[in-house]
Amino acid sequence: MASREDLYEEAVREHGPALDRLARAYEMDAEARRDLLQEIHLGLWRSLDGFDARCSLRTWIYRVAHNVAASHVDADRRAKARQLVSIDDVDVTDDRTDAAAAAGRTIALERLMALIRELKPLDRQVVLLFLEGVDAGGIAEVTGLSPGNVATKIHRIKNILIRRFQAGGEHES
Amino acid sequence: MNHESASEEMKSLWQSQPTDQPKIRPEDFRRKLDKFERRIFWRNAREYAAGVVVIAGFGYYGWKLSGLLVHVGAGLIIAGTLIVMYELHRRGSVRSAPADLGLSTCIEFHRKSLERQRDALWTVWTWYLLPFVPGLVVFEIGSAMMQWKAHPVGLGHLVTRFLISGGTIAVVFFGVWLLNQWAAGKLQKRIDELTALVRGPD
Repeated sequence: MASREDLYEEAVREHGPALDRLARAYEMDAEARRDLLQEIHLGLWRSLDGFDARCSLRTWIYRVAHNVAASHVDADRRAKARQLVSIDDVDVTDDRTDAAAAAGRTIALERLMALIRELKPLDRQVVLLFLEGVDAGGIAEVTGLSPGNVATKIHRIKNILIRRFQAGGEHES
Repeated sequence: MNHESASEEMKSLWQSQPTDQPKIRPEDFRRKLDKFERRIFWRNAREYAAGVVVIAGFGYYGWKLSGLLVHVGAGLIIAGTLIVMYELHRRGSVRSAPADLGLSTCIEFHRKSLERQRDALWTVWTWYLLPFVPGLVVFEIGSAMMQWKAHPVGLGHLVTRFLISGGTIAVVFFGVWLLNQWAAGKLQKRIDELTALVRGPD
């Protein structure tokens, strides 16, 4: 069994950028984001003593990161009384800007970030894992959602992505 | 464009964002832990300060006013305050072990946290309100008797005064209990929603 130091090094090497993207998706403010990223790394470092390879290191890392980030959002939401929405309540289409503008990478990314930050923690976790390329089984393992619920949510996410972010999409449902 | 290519394009856009290579050093961990400890310290300090104010207030009354029941009542209120302070401290210290962050799925982790909050609210009567009741009852009786001794105005007046002040305290306690039950009910709804997400649909 690898030592905690080795596991942490591997985690940062393999998933450091994903953790950074995750922190960006949870926190808009640069200082709060750095703070959250440190909290995630600290949580990861402390948790790795208990890593027993019952799940993959990737699953472990994502669980730690999302659990820390969700607690952070929960505390922040209580402080600011911010209302978060379910992915089921997000409009598939969005009239705020035209599709051509949304085609720009920067704008598309900004809009994607804004959409993610509006979501309830669990929906946010699913979207982020999906964007990181984790498959449905992996998402179920990290979040604890039933495979059926993961499939439903992924279908919904794909609908939103194609309608909101693709210029000239075919708008299939 | 279909769902698959659109979502693949978004994934690639997402993953190609420039990221800062995290440079987290052991000093950062230590600083973070220090900050966390400081936050806990100040939270505890606020709780203890509120308790100290109550203890000082009733300590002063117990010392200043005469009458055995007033002394006993003030002493019981101080004891009740100490019990509540201890409970606040004990409940605030219950935290997940570090490994829980990785062992629990996101839903389990969130559910456990909600269950801890719900249980604290549901049982608020036993650990937050009840410890004050004996002291308040004895103190109220004692101060009513003391007043009666100083100005004997008739038993009816004494009972009315006791019922008004005792009733006000009872209404406040009932309101606190009701608010906590309502908040616990809301948490239970969220817990049920999370449970449903684990179960189905499949």
